[in-house]
Amino acid sequence: MATDQSSFEFAPGFVDDRLRTAWYALLGLLLVVGGYAMYLRITQGMQSTNLTSTTPWGAWVAFYIYFVGLSAGAFLVSTLANVFGVAGMHRIDRDALFAAIISMVVALLFVWTDLGRMDRMYHPFFWRQVTSALSWEVHAYVAYIGVLVTELYFAMRYDLAQVAERATGLRATLSGYLTLGRRATTDASRETDRTWLKRAGILGIPLAVFLVHGGTGVLFAVSKARPYWNSGLFPVIFIVSALLSGTALVVMLYVLRTRLFDDEPVDRDLLARLGALLAIFVVVDVALTGIEALIAIASLHPHELDTWGIIMFGEMSWSFWWFMVGFGWVFPLVMLSKRSWRRTPWLMALAGLSVVVGIVAVRFNIVVPPQIRPVMEGLPHGAYFPSLVEWASSAGMIAVGLLLYTIGAELLPLTPLDRGDH
Amino acid sequence: MSSTGSDDPLPGVPDVGTQELDAMVDAEAADPREELSKTDHDTDLGIAMAEDAKRVSRGELTADAYWEKYDEAAAAEFGDAYRETPNPSIEHPDQTISSDTAESLGCTVGSIESVACNLPAADVDASERDVDGRESGDCTASETSGDERWGMVIDLQKCVGCDSCTVACKAENRTPPGVSYNVVMEEEHGEFPDVTRTNVPRPCMQCENPPCVQVCPVSATYKMDNGVVNVDYDRCIGCRYCMIACPYGARYFDFGENYDDEVVEAGEVTSPEYGVDRGERDGGESPVGNVRKCSFCTHRLERGEEPACVETCVGDARNMGDLDDPDSEVSEMADSSRAFQLKESEGTDPNVHYLK
Repeated sequence: MATDQSSFEFAPGFVDDRLRTAWYALLGLLLVVGGYAMYLRITQGMQSTNLTSTTPWGAWVAFYIYFVGLSAGAFLVSTLANVFGVAGMHRIDRDALFAAIISMVVALLFVWTDLGRMDRMYHPFFWRQVTSALSWEVHAYVAYIGVLVTELYFAMRYDLAQVAERATGLRATLSGYLTLGRRATTDASRETDRTWLKRAGILGIPLAVFLVHGGTGVLFAVSKARPYWNSGLFPVIFIVSALLSGTALVVMLYVLRTRLFDDEPVDRDLLARLGALLAIFVVVDVALTGIEALIAIASLHPHELDTWGIIMFGEMSWSFWWFMVGFGWVFPLVMLSKRSWRRTPWLMALAGLSVVVGIVAVRFNIVVPPQIRPVMEGLPHGAYFPSLVEWASSAGMIAVGLLLYTIGAELLPLTPLDRGDH
Repeated sequence: MSSTGSDDPLPGVPDVGTQELDAMVDAEAADPREELSKTDHDTDLGIAMAEDAKRVSRGELTADAYWEKYDEAAAAEFGDAYRETPNPSIEHPDQTISSDTAESLGCTVGSIESVACNLPAADVDASERDVDGRESGDCTASETSGDERWGMVIDLQKCVGCDSCTVACKAENRTPPGVSYNVVMEEEHGEFPDVTRTNVPRPCMQCENPPCVQVCPVSATYKMDNGVVNVDYDRCIGCRYCMIACPYGARYFDFGENYDDEVVEAGEVTSPEYGVDRGERDGGESPVGNVRKCSFCTHRLERGEEPACVETCVGDARNMGDLDDPDSEVSEMADSSRAFQLKESEGTDPNVHYLK
């Protein structure tokens, strides 16, 4: 790489200006629509949703656990490089960390929107309940975001310092601020960064696995009133599907960013490695979900049977068969089945996208079905499909995430300047 | 119907004048002399006091003059009972005797409330061992001792499934559309002609181990000393986790809907739930955006009244009382072999018991 200051050019971001315009226009459109939906949600309150007292949790909660999972998964992929030192993974670790941070921001946006009293979002920090998983979760999320930001800082600081020193313009200025004054570009400073990166990662792994995402699973699993959730395997499946969606996201981002932003050839070995990982996670996810379903159905508990009946044959069974089984499991497994396909970037990006979309259905099928059958015989049955306001505001919040990610990817050295081959 | 002859008797209405009606009242009225002679006290004094009391109410005699006239005689006749009983007329806004007169009297001066409160509790208990018992006055001291564990027992054999508890609850707590603290779960079993129907009224169970309290991230819902599970509307963030956790579906989210289309000024009056008066139901103010549920009508319990559903029950199927008092009616019923709780296997130990 260039060491001569005059020839140093740091300009990540869209290679194609027309693509950039089109992308920002799309995001702008989503933000306008989502913003209006959010306006309706705030002025009309929860009446703008299709939620009821029988089905009090819906799309926003499903998206919230989806993004928490996406974040935890992406983070764990990043640790492959910076904690476990898996060869050839360094190229994607910052990208994975950055995506993990943005996912948490989006997840918290969803929880916030879902609160009946959005004005009281700070209450969980003033009043607590030791027996409440949600009370613990709120704190775990904050700690987790702290760890992610710390990690990203140590992963990127050396490059930030280089950019600040040698490049010019907005990116250099921003990079300068983000070094937080640690501008050294010596090998010793880089070693310090790596040590601290590893330490933060070691702290982050249990935090992400057990508290952040396992904890989110626990949040559901402790609900004895909903037998479908009330299982010990449930939080484990949560973690596995998090790993699945996170890996898929990283695969997709890696291909898209390398092609569209860096304009470089995709590293096919890395791609195949990520593909194999993805395939393993799909298989484990399928197997554990199957075990969970078998245990539930074998229990002959009427609530369990009804809930699985609703999932597989109910009104929303299309989301199970098409999205969860089709996009989440079958399609990616087919794509990953051939060695040559695993080394084909656009196929892998497609497989990644397919899983990322499919896991949304997994999350919906976690949240909604056990709230359809009433907890007591004789109470009204539930029925739920998100309202237009719920869909549009969700699109808006996802657009916020995409916008933040894109801006970050355009300004920050998310791809290591040395391309990660140290 | 017609305007002619307004004095003509209407069909079905007896043709009697006011004089005949007055005569009927007189005929029904008890003879004062006969009634008073049943007591140990002076009949003549009683009659004289009653006649003069009528004059006071007609305005022909002042209350001051009345009490001055009879003070000595009453003291002589009733002794300590007269001297120690507060004279209530000092309190009445229209007929206050002057404080000088009050001072000169031989009896204690006080309010009607203090009279009721000073009655020995045992007297009331003995006379009123009905289900509605101990409901004779406004003084709280003798009504609720403050260390109750409130419990409800619902006799399913007495429940006819009329839903008046649901309606009474709605009227009392002024719950918005979609929020119904009490519902009756009705189920039909069997096939014609062998059909039975079970009606199970479902208020909040006020569990001893409430899963809703366990999951609330901000401790907005908590167990009170009297056994009632409270919701602090000012702290609740509306996350609805408690609704997910409740095995009885007893919690409802307030989506902010109103009966404005059906009832004029529907939100003008709200119920002082948990003893907090929030005034008019207004825009987005709490409890809109909060989770709500039955409070055993805490605001009524605090003033010595039973919950609205218990009071209204046509079949007398619902009973309210102190489960910590082993001799209370509800404790005895909850101990009967007919008693059970909903979803006992959940380990929630509801304070609502049912009789099969």
